[in-house]
Amino acid sequence: MEQTQTGKIHLSRLKGRARAWFSKPANIILLFFLVTLTVLTLYPLLSMLTETFTVHLGREERATKLSIGAFTTYHFQRVFATSANDYSWIQFYKPLLNTLAVSVTSSVFAILFGGVVAFLVTRTNLKYKKFVSAVFTFPYIMPSWTLALFWETFFKNVNIGLKTSNGIMASVFGVFMPEWFVYGFFPISLVLGLHYAPFAYILIGGILRNMDANLEEAATILKTNRSRIIWKITLPIVKPAMLSTFLLVFASSMSAYSVPVFLGSPVRYYVLSTSMKSLMNSYKGQAYIIVAVMILFGVAILMLSQKVTNSRKQFTTVTGKSGQISKINLGKANVPIAIILVIVLLLVAIVPLVTFALESVIIKAGDYSLSNMTLDFWIGTGLEKRLDQGDSTGILLNPVVWRALGTSLALAITCAVIAGTSGILVGYGVAKRRGSRLSNWVNSLSFFPYLMPSLAFGAIYLAMASKISWLHGFLLMALAGSVKYLPFASRSGVNAMLQLSGEIEEAALITGVPWWKRMLRVIFPIQKSSFLSGYLLPMVSCMRELSLFVLLVPTSDTILTTMLMQYSEKGWAQFGNAINLLIIIVVLLVNFTVNKLTGASIDKGVGG
Amino acid sequence: MKKFLSLMLALIMVLCAVPALADVAADIEAGQAMTHEELVEKALAESGTFVAYGTTSRIKKAAAAFSEKYGIPQNSNNMKDIDIYDKIANENVDMVMIQDGAQLLGAIEHGILANFVPASVKDSISEHDQYPLAHQFTNKVFIYNVLGDDVPAIRNVWELTDPAMKDRIIFKKPTDEQVNMNFLVMLTSPEWSARLEEAYKEWKGENIDLGSYKTAGHKWIAEFLPNCVFGKSDTNIAEEISQETAEGKIGLFVLSKLRSSSVYAENLMPAQYAASAEGYEIKPFAGFMYPIYNMISTNANRPYTAMLFIEYLMSEEGFSFWSDSIGAYSGNSAIPEKEGDLPLSVWKDTLVVEDPEYILEYGLDVEDFVGPYLQ
Repeated sequence: MEQTQTGKIHLSRLKGRARAWFSKPANIILLFFLVTLTVLTLYPLLSMLTETFTVHLGREERATKLSIGAFTTYHFQRVFATSANDYSWIQFYKPLLNTLAVSVTSSVFAILFGGVVAFLVTRTNLKYKKFVSAVFTFPYIMPSWTLALFWETFFKNVNIGLKTSNGIMASVFGVFMPEWFVYGFFPISLVLGLHYAPFAYILIGGILRNMDANLEEAATILKTNRSRIIWKITLPIVKPAMLSTFLLVFASSMSAYSVPVFLGSPVRYYVLSTSMKSLMNSYKGQAYIIVAVMILFGVAILMLSQKVTNSRKQFTTVTGKSGQISKINLGKANVPIAIILVIVLLLVAIVPLVTFALESVIIKAGDYSLSNMTLDFWIGTGLEKRLDQGDSTGILLNPVVWRALGTSLALAITCAVIAGTSGILVGYGVAKRRGSRLSNWVNSLSFFPYLMPSLAFGAIYLAMASKISWLHGFLLMALAGSVKYLPFASRSGVNAMLQLSGEIEEAALITGVPWWKRMLRVIFPIQKSSFLSGYLLPMVSCMRELSLFVLLVPTSDTILTTMLMQYSEKGWAQFGNAINLLIIIVVLLVNFTVNKLTGASIDKGVGG
Repeated sequence: MKKFLSLMLALIMVLCAVPALADVAADIEAGQAMTHEELVEKALAESGTFVAYGTTSRIKKAAAAFSEKYGIPQNSNNMKDIDIYDKIANENVDMVMIQDGAQLLGAIEHGILANFVPASVKDSISEHDQYPLAHQFTNKVFIYNVLGDDVPAIRNVWELTDPAMKDRIIFKKPTDEQVNMNFLVMLTSPEWSARLEEAYKEWKGENIDLGSYKTAGHKWIAEFLPNCVFGKSDTNIAEEISQETAEGKIGLFVLSKLRSSSVYAENLMPAQYAASAEGYEIKPFAGFMYPIYNMISTNANRPYTAMLFIEYLMSEEGFSFWSDSIGAYSGNSAIPEKEGDLPLSVWKDTLVVEDPEYILEYGLDVEDFVGPYLQ
């Protein structure tokens, strides 16, 4: 009798606790995202892992002499331990070494370039700062293949690569660059480094801008010289940001595909992502093992990154008391440094656009005379008889291009709305329940898609959707895009929420304002620009995404990027260049419009 | 329990799949004997959008014209064969135009794709090309730049293995397009190895020393590939080799690329054209050739429309989307090649034509062998 009584009390206590737990919106949100993200990220991962033990149609079936779907360890043996014909070395170990070399170098380069520019902009009296900081994020906003394509078009010459034609540098300026400069390890690392340098600029710049001036001032009073202050005070303070950048760029470079394809293949320089893509055509199981290895590296990086973030707590960088930071006077060096920087940025951000415009109007490659130019690829009609190079109308008169642009925009907006809103909610939940296990799980799960290479992510989603007949086309692409870009939104969401003092919401809570009103009327307006950045970054990324959607599009002319890829595979260079330029212009326009209207910017999204 | 569940699941899947497969197979069986009018009637009675994918970009134009002619809504697109198989595995597709016969035979064996020969054109398709049904043949041939003093006007393919040819040959990476790999596989067959041995003797004046190589085909591959530079696409290779600055270069790429306005066709010469004009033979081959097959997907929603479309493609009207340029040859022998091109019969004699059965049997070994030479 007594026992049942105790049981009842126990049960009612439990019920009470559960009621209290569920009465907090943060808990419901976290639980919802725990379940949803498990289904949308862990399930694909598990299904991919099972593929690494499964026999697929075609070559695998013939090689293993097993039936489709049967269990096998053949893929592992091939990837890791086949010495015949140097198979494992060629498919895995050598590309792995190349990948590591490229990823480390591009990360170092991104930190050096981005960090130095961030320092110059925030801590010196450099001229043309406005231009520098406006243009510096261009390379990140533009599709990554843009710089690679430009690099090749600009520097190729008859002594290297295919050894058949001269690019602008050789034909116009008569300068023939050596092969190591144009193809392979060096340009791949450099181009990736340039593409991701904005990460460093934003992360390191954010800290430099907000750091407590007292430390440096104290050192100055003690008559410490400038270089010693930089080495002993400034650098240690930005060290965590440098490490975070290193890890972010490393993970991104590792899964980059288009840059190594453009700049590596002509000299037979292969990395893990190119090896994975080529195996995906014939040996899916082996391709998925390579993806798994890349994810393992990613997870290791994530863990390291968390350690680094924790160590960041030791530095109180933002105190609110920080007064005017003393700016270094560059003196006579100011103008030369500023000019060099402006030229480099013009080369990296503006010249590619001019090159694409030029390449989209010439009929035969390499001939830049007026007689070889036409606007047909933009506004021509009846081209099948005159040019026979792809479509019959110029891209601006082609309804298919406009439809693809519409779909690309609709997709980008959908992904941005889903990912951005989820990011805010995840941020709210994680910040409110900071330190709890649930909060940590959701935080890590929401970052996990960042570590999955886009191509593999798309492949897994396609396989997953095969069991759900209505989930095809736009819906599937929107789902995959939303999950893939959630990390950007959740990062900025979490950071924005963590900056908010709990008292702000509590004041509203005491007066009985319901949760949704608190979110809409109190929290959102305060951190508006950070939240909107959480929408902007997925949108921009989605507009220029190729690998993720390449398998998910119903037809290759569904969105602009897959259309571009098809044109470039077919070798319809002029249409390809025109569409590439169109994509870049649209992305820049979207970025600037949102920026001007709302104050949101990529900086806040990346850096958080 | 787990085993039982997966067995049940497999059984349910098989039970669900069998009627669909059986339906399409039965429809094709019936369709093979139908006249054009009967096919039209059956096709018009079907509903939904007709879905067709192909490895040739012109499928879009052909499908659009077909759709307009019969008032059937269509969704067609150009994609790589591997992506087409992915599509079939994940969604309903009616008809495909696909290359790589070896992979195709596997797909037929597994009941993924099915063969159909329209009664109206059956008599003008050679028996060999009826299964799997070859819609057209594409040829990739040796084409060289005619400028400068060192024109690589080859007469024997062993010339391409000479160290002096290093970096002068441009080819698409065999792992990037399976038909290129299939060509290399075919060279190891008894027939082509024997012909390569003979050609070697003619070139060097002595018998070939195979060393550790299994066949003359293996030896040729091992000495040819290191001399190659790999281009991105056949169009890109054609454009690059046609440049004034590309003297001394030779490529192995699709003949029809010569039509493109971005190519300086006047700077290029297909080796076989020169041979035919001057009356010599290129020993033992001038390139390779592969069919593009027309197939019906067994998960088709509109199987009769697929049959009607195949009939359309095999007709002169349907082939008109390809026949306006050199380098495309219909499987229907009643349709002639483009004026100025060599007839299909000549190409069949001078090019390596893929044999899907041989590739299925030996392809994997040769692919492994090729790997190190692509590095």
